[in-house]
Amino acid sequence: MGLVTAMLDKAPEESVAARVRSAVETVFEAVAATRADTTALLARVAAEGRRPATVDLAALRPGLHLRLARHALVSGVGFVAAPGLLTDVPAWLEWWQTGAEGDVRPLLLDLDPEHSAYADYTHWDWFALPRDTGERAVAGPYVDYLCSDEYSLTLSAPVEMAGRFAGVAAADVYLRHFEAAVMPMLHQLPGPARLVNARGRVAASSDPRHLVGSLDKGPDFAGALATGRTARADGVRLIPCAGVPLVLVVTE
Amino acid sequence: MNQQRIDGGARRAVFAPVDNRARVDAVVRRIGDAIELGLLGDGEQLPGESELAGQLGVSTVTLREALMALRQQGLVTTRRGRGGGSFVSLPEVPGEERLKARLRGWSTEELRDLGDHWAALSGAAARLAAERTEPEDLVQLRRTAAELAQADEAAACSRLYGRFHVELAAAAQSARLTREQVALQTEVGALLCLVLGDGEYREEVSERLRFVISAVQDGAHESAREPAERCVRESTARLIALRLTL
Repeated sequence: MGLVTAMLDKAPEESVAARVRSAVETVFEAVAATRADTTALLARVAAEGRRPATVDLAALRPGLHLRLARHALVSGVGFVAAPGLLTDVPAWLEWWQTGAEGDVRPLLLDLDPEHSAYADYTHWDWFALPRDTGERAVAGPYVDYLCSDEYSLTLSAPVEMAGRFAGVAAADVYLRHFEAAVMPMLHQLPGPARLVNARGRVAASSDPRHLVGSLDKGPDFAGALATGRTARADGVRLIPCAGVPLVLVVTE
Repeated sequence: MNQQRIDGGARRAVFAPVDNRARVDAVVRRIGDAIELGLLGDGEQLPGESELAGQLGVSTVTLREALMALRQQGLVTTRRGRGGGSFVSLPEVPGEERLKARLRGWSTEELRDLGDHWAALSGAAARLAAERTEPEDLVQLRRTAAELAQADEAAACSRLYGRFHVELAAAAQSARLTREQVALQTEVGALLCLVLGDGEYREEVSERLRFVISAVQDGAHESAREPAERCVRESTARLIALRLTL
C-alpha cells in the first residue's frame, strides 16, 4: 500500500528520469570496475618500485572483455593513460571494442605526432573533464572520429596513481543503442519529451521538432542540473536525472 | 544470323574480365599515399602477396601489377629468396618530386570531381555546424586553425588542414559526413602538401579557416556554407593549376 501510494505520488516524469539515471548508472558501473582494476594495477606496479609500461596494462584485458560481454550498452571500454605515464610509449589507449560481428578487438591508433594529426587526445571532453574536475563525467553526444566513428556518449572517471592523475577509465555508448534503451521510457510519458545534456545537446527525443544532435538553445540546463530540482522555463519543464548530467525536458 | 554475330565477338567482350586497370591504380594510390604520409615506414616489409591481396580485396594478379608499378615509382623494392618479400623504400628523390609524380596519376577531371565531393561535404558540414554549434564545438576548430598558422612544414600543415575539415563534420553532429571526410582526406592529404608548401597560401588558408569559424559561430547556417565551399574550391583550383603544369 505504502509503495503504491509512493509510486502514484511520483510524477511520471520523475519516474522516467530515475529510470534513465539507472540505465546510465549501469554503464558507470563498467567505468568504476575498470577504474578499480587500473588503480589496483598501478598501485602494484608502484609497490614494486617501478613505473608502468604498456605490457602491464595487458592485465586489464580479461576485465575489459568481460564488461563488453556483460553490458549491452557498452561498445568500447578501457583505460586511457595520461601522456608520460608509461615508460615505453608517450601515450596509450588500452581500449577494446565490440566489432560489427560481435567480436572483441583492440583499438590500435597511430599516436605518433609526426604521422598523425590526431595523436593528442587530451583535449577531448572524456579526458579533460575528469582530469580537470576530479569527478566522473559524461561526454557527448559527439561524433567520435578517434575511436569508433560513431555518434556516441563516452562516460569516464579519473584514475590516480600515488595521488596524481594517471588517466581515465571510460566506456563508450553508441547513441543508437542509448536511444533503443531510453525510448521506451520516453514513450511512457503523455507528451513529447527529450533528454538533453548540460550544454543543451539533445541525446534522445520522442519529439520530431527536436532531433537528436540538435541544440536546445533556450533553457538553462546546467543550472537545472546544479540545483538537482525540477525547473520551469519557456513552456517546458526540466527534470534533472539526478546524479547524471542529463535533463528530461517535457512540454507543459 | 544477327544473333550469331552478337554471339560472336561482342558477346564475348561483355563477359570478358572487367578491366583490371582501375583496381591496379587504386591499389597503387592507396599504398603510395600510405608511404608518402609515413604510415608505412622506410624499410618496412609489406605482408605476403596473398595476404595483402586478401586484405585489399583484389586478386593476386592485380596486386602483382600494382607492386610492379610501385617498384617503377621506386617506392617498393622486392627481394627474392629467404628473408625476401616486398619492402617500402623511400627513394632519394625529394618528396616534392615524388608527390608531383603522384599528382600526374590524377586527371584534371578526377581532381575537379574530388574537389566537388569535398566542397559538398564541407559546405554541408559548415551549414549544419552553424545550426548545431555551441561554443565548446569551436574550441577544437580554433585550436586547429591556430596550429595551422604556426605550422612551417607542408606535411604538418596538410594534416592540420585535413583535421579541420574532419572537425567541422563532427561539429555538424554527423557521423556519416565525418566518415566521408576522413576517407576523402586520406586521398587528398598527400596531394595538398604540394600547394601548402607555399607560405603565402598557407597564410591565406589559415585566414579562410578563421572565416569559416566566424560564419559557423554566427549561427547563420546558409551563409556558413559559402566560405567553407570557397576554401575547398580554392585548394582544388590550385591543385588543378599545378597538375596542368606537369
